Amino acid sequence: MFKLPNIFAVTLLSVAMVSGVVQADGHKYNLGAPASADEIAGWDIDIRPDGMGLPVGSGNALDGEAEYETQCAACHGVFGEGEGRWPVLTGGEGTLSDERPVKTVGSYWPYASTLFDYIRRAMPFTAPMSLSDKQVYGITAYVLYMNEIIEEDFELSNENLATIRMPNEDNFYVDDRPDVKNPRCMADCADVSSMMLASSLSGVTPIGHFVEGADAPAASHEGQHNLETQKEAKRKAEITGEEVSESLSAEPAMLSVQAQAGEEVYMGACFVCHGSGLAGAPKVGDATAWVERVGQGMNLVISHALEGYSGSAGVMPPKGGRMDLSDEQVTNAVHFMVESSH
Amino acid sequence: MTIPSTKELLQTMQEAAENLSKNDRRDFLRKGVSYLAGAAAVGSAGAASGASFSTNLPPNEPIWGRQLGSGVVANPYGEPSHFEEHVVRRTVPWLTAESISSISMSPIQNLQGIITPNGLVFERYHAGVPSINPDEHRLMIHGLVDNPLIFTMEDLMRFPSVSEIKFIECPANGGMEWRGPQMEALQFTHGMLSCCEWTGVPLKVLLEEAGIQPEGKWILAEGADGAHMSRSIPIEKILDDTLVVYAQNGEMLRPEQGYPLRLLNPGWEGNTSIKWLRRIEVGDMPWHHREETSKYTDLMADGRARRFTFVQECNSVITSPCPENPIKKPGFIEIEGLAWTGRGKIKGVDVSFDGGVNWQPAQLKGLVLDKALTRFSFQTKWSGQPWLLQSRAYDETGYVQPTLAQLREQRGVNSIYHKNSIHTWQVQPTGEVKNVQVT
Repeated sequence: MFKLPNIFAVTLLSVAMVSGVVQADGHKYNLGAPASADEIAGWDIDIRPDGMGLPVGSGNALDGEAEYETQCAACHGVFGEGEGRWPVLTGGEGTLSDERPVKTVGSYWPYASTLFDYIRRAMPFTAPMSLSDKQVYGITAYVLYMNEIIEEDFELSNENLATIRMPNEDNFYVDDRPDVKNPRCMADCADVSSMMLASSLSGVTPIGHFVEGADAPAASHEGQHNLETQKEAKRKAEITGEEVSESLSAEPAMLSVQAQAGEEVYMGACFVCHGSGLAGAPKVGDATAWVERVGQGMNLVISHALEGYSGSAGVMPPKGGRMDLSDEQVTNAVHFMVESSH
Repeated sequence: MTIPSTKELLQTMQEAAENLSKNDRRDFLRKGVSYLAGAAAVGSAGAASGASFSTNLPPNEPIWGRQLGSGVVANPYGEPSHFEEHVVRRTVPWLTAESISSISMSPIQNLQGIITPNGLVFERYHAGVPSINPDEHRLMIHGLVDNPLIFTMEDLMRFPSVSEIKFIECPANGGMEWRGPQMEALQFTHGMLSCCEWTGVPLKVLLEEAGIQPEGKWILAEGADGAHMSRSIPIEKILDDTLVVYAQNGEMLRPEQGYPLRLLNPGWEGNTSIKWLRRIEVGDMPWHHREETSKYTDLMADGRARRFTFVQECNSVITSPCPENPIKKPGFIEIEGLAWTGRGKIKGVDVSFDGGVNWQPAQLKGLVLDKALTRFSFQTKWSGQPWLLQSRAYDETGYVQPTLAQLREQRGVNSIYHKNSIHTWQVQPTGEVKNVQVT
């Protein structure tokens, strides 16, 4: 008999469970933990046009110029004109209704806050979130200065960034689609005599995968780059009469343990420039480019990679801008690049 | 007729395949198939190495019936037959500076039904695919809420789950052809498009946990990748159907699709469905970030630009025939294609054979779901006549897919995004299919 109360207790609990009382505290599930002020502060990086989110600080174009040249110019060009297919940052004013509009920070972007926000969250491309607030203010100021939106000595700060007006701000409007109304006509819907037929351009589709022998662009970015490099070399050779050098090695190299260890770092940190030859970077696979450098001694090549280097071909920021990498990681990546370029 | 042993056959294939590039190898496999058919018709095994394949056709017992295959868990995570290795995502390299911030297209010309297999869902990255440890991944909700919260993946998966089939499309799909046709393949004209069954939690449920304050009208969604990709979404969408998803087609998200967590805004431009989702901030106005000002705004002919063009409007395309799927011979043909709309369900699709002068209704087949790919079909005969083949979808709001001329008249040719116009395939007397534009 003394067990009876326990049985009752169990039964009552079961009734409570099947009757749907699963959510404690009204409609809440109470999953998840409170986010602390510290946790939020670390991740809350967004900036709004009204200035909300701007960190206390400032910088000007004079500060930003050197930062821009080491951190940004490799892709965006010294004057913001853009290298290769990388985004153009300057110019283009008055072109938005032209046949070929040029959309830049100055000609298109509606808010200066977007520039600060984007540089802080995503730039430089190979090392996002690596810049200090001071650096971001300086680079933002420099890009605005190059676009003739602020003066060279204007001290851009959390106090005044929201007051800067961008030239194209008023030319945006909220989506007003549907903007066309096509009736569901079933017969005699078009005048055959006035119909025009346009055919596809040839030579721009990477169609080798289904049209045999097609003279089509390459199917990968690497292949496309090689194709364009070769075409460019041929074009130059026809002018100069020099021979086209076939320096791109085709065979995969045998890698040392150190080089193998460096491959992952290479893909994550070095590939963008050294995979394509961007900003004068010696391209992996280009034996000639590397032989010259290795000829001066591996130690020098490694110290340039670690400490940075500015030469006639281009600029190598210290550790490629990836200061979070250890010396060993960068050294391994250099070995990977050198050994992959025999 | 001599029948080669397995070993001899493999040896022959090995020798023939050596020294061939990967593309050639694919051709080799295909030619193997046609040798097989050709040699069988002649009925003799010639001296050519390929001809030995003919021994796999009736009346012979094929090689795979005379030997054993591999056993269970030989391949613990299975993959398609190697005869299908041409069915892959592809990119157009000249579109972007390099592959880390770029896009690839799904091979919709090779797919059946409405579901895109996980390995073939189109890719769009702004800073490459991060490798995220789910144990260390967090979703933070803060801003104009009563209780800022932080969730582990375990927390999120404990909520009641929902599974929904929804398409996802890049607004730049078709954007290379505003000025004229230039992509000689369906994969490149329409392949920034996929459709999966997604599993997760409505974002509304999570926001109710945190308690949205009355001034909260927009959210900012942000990714954990190197781009920290961010977009502003109006609260009405969240309260309607936005999901926070962790699975696709029955398994955890692929890294390419946001593992371990992504946002899903059904029917809206794909970039709003932030991948590698780590943070939701509630605010009283939009943020106007880079991917909603500099990019993903639609420049009109007059130099002004539309912003927050979220909806993917009603669209359709014929997937067979198409440049990759020519008509092989006269006779019966089922014209098939896909239709979709970000405003709800597809109501119907019409097909034209004369470049849009006359139209006939097609049949919808299989599932017809809200904001999902919908397959249509038109059965007919082809006897070698040239066709200017078009499809025109309309949705439950009454919106009819427009012509390219109508879109150009409204928007000009520089808006890049949201080109959902009627597409034309020119079927030639040979059965080959060309991408053309009729205006």
